[in-house]
Amino acid sequence: MSRVSVRRVARVLEQRLLTLVAALTAVVLLVLFYYPVATVFADAVLVDGRLTVEPIATILTSEFYLVDIIWFTAKQAFYSTLASLALGLPAAWLFSRFEFRGRETLRSLTILPFVMPSIMVAIGFVATFGRNGTLNRALSAVGLPPVELLFTLEAIIVAHAFYNAPLVARVVTAAWESVDARTVETARSLGANPRRAFRDVVLPQLLPSIGVGATLTFIFTFASFPIVLALGGFQLATIEVFVYSRVRDLAYAEAASLAVIETVISITLTAVYLRYEASQRSAGGAANPLPRRSVVPSDWTPKSTLRTVGIAGYALVVGLVFVVPIASMILASVTGGDGGFTLANYAFLVERQATGASFQVKPLPAILNSLAFAAGTLVVAVPMGVVMAVLTTRRYRGRGLIDVLSMAPFAVSGIVVGLGLLRGLVFGVDVLGTRIRVTGALAIVAAHAVGAYPFVTRNVAPLFARLDGRLVESARSLGATRTRALVDIELPLVWTGVVAGAAFAVAISIGEFDSTIILAEGAGSYTMPIAVERFLGRRLGPATAMGCLLLLVTSASFLVVDRFGGRWGEL
Amino acid sequence: MRLELDAVSKRYGSATALDSVSLSVDDGEFFTLVGPSGCGKTTTLRCIAGFESPTEGTVRFDGESMAGVAPESRGVGVVFQNYALFPHLSVGENVAYGLRFTDPPGGGTRDERVAELLDLVDLAGFEDRDPDSLSGGQQQRVALARALAPGPDLLLLDEPMSALDARLRDRLRRQVKRIQSELGVTTVYVTHDQSEALAVSDRVAVLNRGRVEQVGRPRELYHRPRTRFVAEFLGENNVLDGVVESRPETGGIRVGVGDAVFTLAEGRRVLGQGGSASGDRAETDGRDGGRPARPETGDSLTFCVRPEQLRVGAETNRVRGTVVDTEFQGATTRVRLDWGGTELVVAVEDGGEESAAGFEDGTTLDIGFAPASAHIVD
Amino acid sequence: MRRRSFLKAAGAGGVSALLAGCTGTGGEQTTTEASGDTTETTTATTTEGTTAGGESPTLTVGTYGSFVDAPSSSPGPWLKETFESEFDATLEWQTPDSGVNYYIERALQGVESGADLYVGLDAQMLVRIDQKLDEALFSPAEGLSRADEVNEQLNFDPQGRAVPYDTGYISLVYNETYGDGDFVAPETFDGLLESEYAGALLAQNPTSSATGQAFLLHTIDAKGEDGYLDYWASLKENDVRVLGDWEDSYNAYSNGEAPMVVSYSTDQVFAAESGEDMAKHQIRFLNDEGYANPEGMAHFADASNPDLAAEFMDFMLRPEVQAEIAVRNVQFPATTTAELPEDFAQYAQEPPEAVTFSYDRLQNNLSDWTDAWAREFARK
Repeated sequence: MSRVSVRRVARVLEQRLLTLVAALTAVVLLVLFYYPVATVFADAVLVDGRLTVEPIATILTSEFYLVDIIWFTAKQAFYSTLASLALGLPAAWLFSRFEFRGRETLRSLTILPFVMPSIMVAIGFVATFGRNGTLNRALSAVGLPPVELLFTLEAIIVAHAFYNAPLVARVVTAAWESVDARTVETARSLGANPRRAFRDVVLPQLLPSIGVGATLTFIFTFASFPIVLALGGFQLATIEVFVYSRVRDLAYAEAASLAVIETVISITLTAVYLRYEASQRSAGGAANPLPRRSVVPSDWTPKSTLRTVGIAGYALVVGLVFVVPIASMILASVTGGDGGFTLANYAFLVERQATGASFQVKPLPAILNSLAFAAGTLVVAVPMGVVMAVLTTRRYRGRGLIDVLSMAPFAVSGIVVGLGLLRGLVFGVDVLGTRIRVTGALAIVAAHAVGAYPFVTRNVAPLFARLDGRLVESARSLGATRTRALVDIELPLVWTGVVAGAAFAVAISIGEFDSTIILAEGAGSYTMPIAVERFLGRRLGPATAMGCLLLLVTSASFLVVDRFGGRWGEL
Repeated sequence: MRLELDAVSKRYGSATALDSVSLSVDDGEFFTLVGPSGCGKTTTLRCIAGFESPTEGTVRFDGESMAGVAPESRGVGVVFQNYALFPHLSVGENVAYGLRFTDPPGGGTRDERVAELLDLVDLAGFEDRDPDSLSGGQQQRVALARALAPGPDLLLLDEPMSALDARLRDRLRRQVKRIQSELGVTTVYVTHDQSEALAVSDRVAVLNRGRVEQVGRPRELYHRPRTRFVAEFLGENNVLDGVVESRPETGGIRVGVGDAVFTLAEGRRVLGQGGSASGDRAETDGRDGGRPARPETGDSLTFCVRPEQLRVGAETNRVRGTVVDTEFQGATTRVRLDWGGTELVVAVEDGGEESAAGFEDGTTLDIGFAPASAHIVD
Repeated sequence: MRRRSFLKAAGAGGVSALLAGCTGTGGEQTTTEASGDTTETTTATTTEGTTAGGESPTLTVGTYGSFVDAPSSSPGPWLKETFESEFDATLEWQTPDSGVNYYIERALQGVESGADLYVGLDAQMLVRIDQKLDEALFSPAEGLSRADEVNEQLNFDPQGRAVPYDTGYISLVYNETYGDGDFVAPETFDGLLESEYAGALLAQNPTSSATGQAFLLHTIDAKGEDGYLDYWASLKENDVRVLGDWEDSYNAYSNGEAPMVVSYSTDQVFAAESGEDMAKHQIRFLNDEGYANPEGMAHFADASNPDLAAEFMDFMLRPEVQAEIAVRNVQFPATTTAELPEDFAQYAQEPPEAVTFSYDRLQNNLSDWTDAWAREFARK
């Protein structure tokens, strides 16, 4: 009897589970994002408790802000997006159409730039593209004049491509791998040559993913801040640089106004993209992916030779932009003040671990915290993202608005979110005489999940949209609740997207800095990026050593996520 | 199980998909919804299954309202046009899927139930096959087996044959009908193919623009269509518009169409008789209430005559037309005539190899029909 | 405002080891929520247990991260250990990421400060605090027995709230081996505009970096309120590089991107510690001046242990503590009574003349100056 009632309760719960998760998502977003952000944005429209447009109007009528800051920010974001596409799309082509050793591993590692603290990238880039960097030494070795890349717009753009080309590559690879070979074969049988078949059949199926990669790249580089100052300089200041400056100077009205304008631009772009994505309904699944070929052709025709040369050239560029900077970082971690080899930086980490005071950052707890938060984020963000994707592919009134609102965590300045978290959560809110505060490990996980779940949604939603709705309806008519249908039928069919989203979620969590340090309750809940920042000193050694640990731990996690995730999907 | 739809409407924004549809389906009945695409038949089915909730009105299973009851709790089996087999599950797992949520009816094990169902659809031994490796007809049978496995009270078939070729369709249709009557499961079948509807159904509802045009047994609908739409949609028909000229004492009605005057038998259909009486009484009564029982002189009137009721050389209601084209269809030949700008179709029984010689294009032909074979519609 | 300090790694390790031994019980966080619960309510006070009930009181001290947690050495651990060994009290460090802004923000939101004391104030911060807050965040330090030992010239708070505990000088650090190996930094601000120094100077964003801000103030002092923007326009023309923070620019400097960087005049102390080539760490005081940036401490107006806070401030001013702070924070002592170790004095250079803006001069001007600079320099 009781067993029956337990089953009934479980079933009722199961029937409500999606609604429940959606409601929880809304609550988490409200508490950890919308409310905190609102406390800051209010400063843009409220002066002495009065509603006003004055702060925003002041900026919109300032030629300096409009032209020198906002327009310039958009311009560099646009160029950065182009560069990220140029660098990322060939990688997607290689990953999806070729077979070579280490392809899977390499693909897993493409996420690494996502977690790299900007100072690490700056160290790597200075060592690679600087006056005495690897590039210039290589150029002079072959008798070419040196390139002055640092402290220019170009340096910022390359660094942005370093961060975002892997994003483009990952998203587009997933789409390319799910192009049904039969569609290409059909086009070929109808008389299309390979190029034509690509343009007419493959490209339209890739465009939504290219669109998402480009949109996200633009939004991220539009809000770029530390890397701009580290590799470009203040003369290339972006909106976010000024948001930070104004916040630091406690000039909240101006900071909030700038951030509001920045957000509106990003949100608008997001909305435009989402509209476009919704209009795309590519058919078919990945039953028959396109065949892969070897990087080294079996016979050397002029065409295949050209292709191989192209791939080799691309590999060289990738080596310069990705491999050399990361290698430089690793090298920096074992280079002493006198330029010789040393393990002192790692010895420092060991010693700090052994003898550090409790209010100091220790490497091992930082690693464990990062992993624990990442695991927590995975557990929270994946269901959130999947449920939002389910909502996104459903038709209902106001869907467009929900879509955009759910993507907003991408579009709002991290500095604003940080300040909002401080005001709204750390200081607490008075509710009936008691101060409600939200801090600690769970708050950190929730904040990470807020930043991470849109990645899950964006990876999963397009795949959901491709699924035949009747599959779910069949399952439900057979007795499956909506949740069961999702778990039994839909998730296995969109599993690649879930794994891709999960990898991003982990990366976001591991790389997150701003919210973590604000919500952390002392050194006990600090993470690897915070340790890197704390270990920065006059010589960057200890920080680079910690940074290398960060890379190592992250690489290992991604291999696990991708491998384990991939295998789980096959079960 | 007895299914009732009580004034069900479904609107999407300002578009009305269903406009006060009322139906009732008896236990064990094979009931078909037929109509052109966009008529609302699939929406009706989705409201029954619970995939959509009606904007107004009620769906009842055995008298119990289904409002707020989730699809998974309705005990309904659904088969879709595109089969919707779960591509990542084997044939056996597909059929067994519904048994995850309920015990196999009949008390056997799950595997036994799967084998039983696959046997029923002539796919014994296909358990481990991949759905992708099956032909369209096989996939459709798997879908049927899957829908039937949990022992549903109601089986909903949404255009299940339309993706198959004609021969396969015929065979599968018979198989579905056989299985349905063996199991006695109440079935609602959606199709746009009127011949399919007439072939398998106990009763048929014709839908047009979200409304029920007529409900009845196949023969009744065929011979006594109540509206012009039904007359034209079910099978071929010659529909003529005219004006009542007189009502002679001898009975019947004289109707002028163009220059000709036809004599029709009195009345067109008898209410409260045959199949139309059972499920759709309320609706039929409601519709008939406002119409004059007898057309008076001067009233305009529409009537129809089936092609097979038009006879070459018939004495009554005789007109002369010109042959436009002929179409040999085996047992009959369809002859299309031009009669003063109106097209008439005549079905002529085939009289052997040389018989079509008289119907060459351009020749004139006298045809007529018996007063009782014409049927007045709205 | 974060300052990175370095000293002999071994020494720091030793101190930390001692520290770990006596503070192994955990519970160091000053925000006292039990971790695990997402939402919880806490009562108004976060510093618990004053002398009531026989428990030793807790002194909560806010400061910037590297004061307690720099990779090589920082005064924090030593101060905690020494203070606790002498006073029957627990010292808890609080290191919010946004430094003193965190406490200003708390006050703005009407939340109690949650700490007794802040260590690491400078004149610019006081100006910001007084501009933003109507009510006092800090109270004047009264009754300190060692107040008169502080170098009179370093007192930067006319209201007597902040008591200096160390000071640093911002100068240029340059690399003699750069280029052909005979690089010499210019001696004056005007010299920086010479074409031979095109692209030769790395500075920091004054809106986010202490050294950057000090350097900007130094140019304002040298060129005047009316002349500094023109001067900076010329600097920009001469390709000065203004990077985000001190780490960015020092990294670029170390990699030979430019021969000069704005940094601290104690740079050679670090260089000596890690055995670097002194030729690469030459100090230049432009116009024979260094911009002095004294750091002070003050106790919060709502401190729950004001007496203990005063005792701590007196403790900080002791000669031996002053010497330790100076060495561990790689700064100069603020008192006249402190005695520095010889090797430290050898490498830590002081300018012939120290310049600094008084609180009164900065008040009502600081943000305008910085703002105008930012708008000038960020013009594309």
